[in-house]
Amino acid sequence: MRGTVGVLNVGAGDTKLSFDPKNPAERIRAARIVRDMIRRGYALLIEVEPNQFQRAHDFDEERCEYIIADFDPVAAAQCSCPPDGASSACPVHGDEKARGQDVQASGTETAGEAAAGAGKKKRGGRRKRVDAGSTRAVAVGRTAGG
Amino acid sequence: MPAAPAPSPSAERPAAEQFALVESFDNFSRHRRIIAAMAREAKEWAGIPMPLEGEQLVVEPSYKFAALFNGDEEEPVDVGDGQAGPRESEDDLYRVVNMWHSRRHRSTVAVAQNGRGRAQHVFGLSKQIDLDLRTLGCSEAWGVEQEHRALNLLGTMLNHRMFKAYLLTGMFLETSKRSGVVYLFRKLRPTIAIKAMTLRWRWSSRPWLEDGDGYMKPLAALCMHPIAYYADSWAGAMCPTDDVVAHLAMMRGDEVMFWRRCNQHDPFSKEAGL
Repeated sequence: MRGTVGVLNVGAGDTKLSFDPKNPAERIRAARIVRDMIRRGYALLIEVEPNQFQRAHDFDEERCEYIIADFDPVAAAQCSCPPDGASSACPVHGDEKARGQDVQASGTETAGEAAAGAGKKKRGGRRKRVDAGSTRAVAVGRTAGG
Repeated sequence: MPAAPAPSPSAERPAAEQFALVESFDNFSRHRRIIAAMAREAKEWAGIPMPLEGEQLVVEPSYKFAALFNGDEEEPVDVGDGQAGPRESEDDLYRVVNMWHSRRHRSTVAVAQNGRGRAQHVFGLSKQIDLDLRTLGCSEAWGVEQEHRALNLLGTMLNHRMFKAYLLTGMFLETSKRSGVVYLFRKLRPTIAIKAMTLRWRWSSRPWLEDGDGYMKPLAALCMHPIAYYADSWAGAMCPTDDVVAHLAMMRGDEVMFWRRCNQHDPFSKEAGL
């Protein structure tokens, strides 16, 4: 399996950055390039599921993983958990609550947390990791307007 | 007897030879290759935009080579005062003080004023046909191979029906799962954000719109070109389908950032391209 990053390029069209996660040299090179792009303000969009993208905020070169924001607005809108914890009646977290899992440990932000956090300007938020060796990404440069 | 048609540069020739043949008709292909090599050497991942004579290239300010492309502040435009003879002083120089798009006249109206307070207006400064013709000229910056690669990438991101629609019409639709907004992605035009609405009314009040499925209301025309674009045209520095890929990927990946990075034009303005 190889990870690929398609960089939208002005002169060459779509240029592919491909790396083998098992090769340390390729992994380090890819990490430097990806981090450089993120630092320059490129939007790095990771295909977490077929035709479903999420933006990456960082890259862990040791584990070869993209770090993305773990917040799904669709799930958050459907969540009916109260602020103090998960509810078994919630269509998003009901199964996890029934199994006795701690919703917070699963890494999913509930609507209650989002509402509680709305009053405070909290930076960062939850992060999720996606294996870079088996995913496709598209890198888009900063916009000049239009 | 009519001459036998020349063989099509496809199927029987290797891909590299096909592109070489096509590029032999493209006067700018050599320039593109040189600029691409310079970008690789400078480790500029998104490449370097190609300047075109007579076209103003607007480059993203934090771009590494932005200073080379973005000129000095705009000099005052001398629109003249209608009088014969040389100007007496700088007070005679007119500066544009206001500009807007007239829906009625479907053109841009500008008001210019000189240092003595005398104002003049100008109609029809810029019409959509001007944008179209300029875009045609800017197409020299793109190559067939670049567009081909972008089409291949877009084909992996769409289902058959939408990709076929794009190939045949230059546009396709996608609904955001997050917001429910319908996006009309178009080649060489801003993306149109549309919301399905229904017209409601009561006898005692004016009609109003609410969420529904009877009427497609355009919310905004979202215009965004990564890295650079050519002023007063629809053309970006990237080939047309790369711009579409950028819009689609950003809408899917981070819709809020997509709206934030785009210029949001009034759907009825000239810039919307409707």
